[in-house]
Amino acid sequence: MTNITTQDDSLAGKVAVITGSARGIGLAIATKYAALGATVVISDLDADSSAAAAGQLSGASSFACDVRSEDSVAALIDHAVSMHGKVDIVVANAGIATLAPVTEMPLGQWRNLMSINLDGAFLTVKHGARAMSAAGTKGSIITIGSITATAGTPLLAHYSASKAAVVNLTKTAAIELRPKGIRVNSILPGFAETVLVTANRQQFVDMLGVDFDEVMAMRQGGYLNIDDLAEVAAFLAGDRSAFCTGSEYVVDGGLTASLM
Amino acid sequence: MNDLQDRRAIVTGAAQGIGLAIAKRLVAGGARVALVDINGGGAEAAAAELGGGCIGLTCDVRSTEQVNASVATATEAFGGLDLLVNNAGIEIAKPVTELTDDDFISILDINVVGTFRFTRAAVPALAAAGGSSIVNLGSIASVAGGPLLSSYSASKGAVLRFTESAAIELRGAGIRVNAVCPGLADTPMAARLAAPLEAVAPITFEELVAVKQGRLAAPEDVAETVAFLASQNSSFITGSHYLVDGGLTASLI
Repeated sequence: MTNITTQDDSLAGKVAVITGSARGIGLAIATKYAALGATVVISDLDADSSAAAAGQLSGASSFACDVRSEDSVAALIDHAVSMHGKVDIVVANAGIATLAPVTEMPLGQWRNLMSINLDGAFLTVKHGARAMSAAGTKGSIITIGSITATAGTPLLAHYSASKAAVVNLTKTAAIELRPKGIRVNSILPGFAETVLVTANRQQFVDMLGVDFDEVMAMRQGGYLNIDDLAEVAAFLAGDRSAFCTGSEYVVDGGLTASLM
Repeated sequence: MNDLQDRRAIVTGAAQGIGLAIAKRLVAGGARVALVDINGGGAEAAAAELGGGCIGLTCDVRSTEQVNASVATATEAFGGLDLLVNNAGIEIAKPVTELTDDDFISILDINVVGTFRFTRAAVPALAAAGGSSIVNLGSIASVAGGPLLSSYSASKGAVLRFTESAAIELRGAGIRVNAVCPGLADTPMAARLAAPLEAVAPITFEELVAVKQGRLAAPEDVAETVAFLASQNSSFITGSHYLVDGGLTASLI
C-alpha cells in the first residue's frame, strides 16, 4: 500500500507533542508527523527509549513523562514550548491494557489503568489546551480512544470504560475550546498488532478459549496496520480537517459496522 | 495534491453545492471524474470547466436504467472505475403532519434508493479495480433528528445503515464503503432550510449556526474528508461515518 502525501498535508512549522510515543501507535504517529515536516516531541515513561526514538526523527526532541502526574504533564508541555516555541498539535496516546474479569478485578488494577488512560488523557488535554490558549494558537488536540469505547469486551471492563470516558471528555473539551479555534477529536482504533495487544493475546485465548487471531480475521479483515492510524492522525492534525471537532474517527476494518 | 492520482470517479449530484466541491477536490488530487446530475447541462458545463478528462452525464437517480447507463458510460470512458461518491440528494423541510406521501417516498427514492442503485451498478467495476472506495453522503441528520427533518433524517439514517452493511459485504471484494456526515453547510440546499427553521425556532438561523457549529461548513471542508476516505491513505477504514460538523453533534445542549 502506497501512502501518498499531498501538499496540503504538510505540517511544516508545526510543533507536535505525543504521549506514549516511544513505541507502537504513538511512535507511528510521531514518525508520520515528522515525515510531514513537524517538529515532534517524543514522550514516554522511560527517558532512554524516548530519546532513542527521537534520535531517529529529524528535529525531534524527547522528554520523559508520567501522564499520571499533573506536574509531569505540565513539565512536558513546558518543555515543548521552551524548546520549540509553541505547541500546535497534542496527541494524548499514552495508555495501558491489562485483563481481568469484572468479578476478579482488584480495585487497584482498575484505578491504576484509569490513572494512566483517563487521568493521563485529561491532564494532557488540559495542559496542551492551556498552552495553545495562552499563545492564541489554533491547535489540534487528538485523543486516542478505542473501538472498545463503543461496546463491551470481556476482560476489558476497565480499559473499555476508560476509553469511553476519553471519547466523552474529547467532546466536552471540543465544545469548550471551539471559541479559541482549538479542535479536539478522538481516533478509535480497532486492534493492531502492537505490544499492547500481543502482550495480552495469549491470556485472552487462555481465559476465554477464543482464538483472537481468528476473531480479528473475521471481524476486521486482519489486524490493523498502524500506519493507517498515523494517516488519520495526520488528517486530523492539519488544516484539511478544519471543520472537524468533537467527533470520533473509527479505524477498524468494519468491526463496529457489523452486528455479527 | 496527488492523493488521488489517476483514480477514476463518479460523483452524483455534482452540478452544484457539495457535489461540485467534491468533484473539484478529486480532480485537484489527480482523478478523472464523471459528474452526474439530473441537471445534465449543469453537469456538462462543470465538467468542461474542470477539464482533465472529466465528463458530465444526465441521470435521474430514481431510474435504475439511467443509473446503470451512467455507470456503464463512465466506466467505458475511463477504462474502469475506482471511486463512487453518492452525493445526489434532496431535502424537504416540512412538519410530519404536512408531508405528503409523494414527499416522503421521493426523498427516500433519491437519497437512499439512489445511493443503493449506484452502488449496485458500480460494484462489478469497483471490484475489478481493487483498492476501490465508495463514499456516501450522510449528514448530521444521520445520527439524530430535528424539527422539519423527519423525512430527511429518516433517509440519512438509512444511508448510514446501508453503508455499514455494504461495507461488510464488499470488504472481501476490496471495496471500502464509508459515509461522510456534514453539518449545516454553505450551500443552496442548506440555505433553503433557513426560513422554515427560523419559523419554528426561537433564534435566527445565523444564531443557530453560530451556537451549534461556529460557522457554516464550507463545501470544501466536506470535500476534504470525502477525499481522505476516497484515497488509499484510508485503506483500513470501512463501514465508518466521519462527521464534519464543527462540534454540533458533540454538544448535549
